Amino acid sequence: MAKAAQKLVGLGTRLGTSLATQGPKVAGDALQWSRPRLSKFWYYARVELTPPMPADVPAISKGFSKIVDSAKTGKFMNLTVKEAWVNTLVCAEVAFWFFIGEQIGRRSFVGYNIKSDYEPHGYI
Amino acid sequence: MAPAPVAVSPLIKFGRYSALLLGIAYGSRHHKSLQKKEDGILARKEQAKAVEEKKKVAAEAGMIYRNAVKV
Repeated sequence: MAKAAQKLVGLGTRLGTSLATQGPKVAGDALQWSRPRLSKFWYYARVELTPPMPADVPAISKGFSKIVDSAKTGKFMNLTVKEAWVNTLVCAEVAFWFFIGEQIGRRSFVGYNIKSDYEPHGYI
Repeated sequence: MAPAPVAVSPLIKFGRYSALLLGIAYGSRHHKSLQKKEDGILARKEQAKAVEEKKKVAAEAGMIYRNAVKV
């Protein structure tokens, strides 16, 4: 018991000294590694991922009316297969945002974690 | 050179973020409703257990009395 306690104390002191001596260097290296990648992310996100602003409302309503108009007059049948495929992918992406939102709302990646007295049987 | 960022149509941006918000709202609402149902079931189980306990105690008391009378 005493030996285990001694080992734990030794481990603690070694962790402490290594944190003090190498911590700043490791943190600096991590910052340096992440800086170009973060800047690249910002470069694209600033243009592509910004949420819609109130200034976009006319463009949004125009886009909607264009889609409704194309459905009403049958113009959508003149789309090429490639364009239709691209539109399908865009709709799929919007659907995926919904599912990510659902994961955030239920605070779990897979399934709903409900507190209950249910004990699932193990497989081992 | 890295590809230039694409100017995403505002309609698509609007669709994405509204889908995200709708998803968060739906996920949290569904979770709450499921948790409420489960709480109801647990409460009912507790009640049934309490009734069972009372019945068992009453049955044991009856047995003791019967054994006492026999003796």
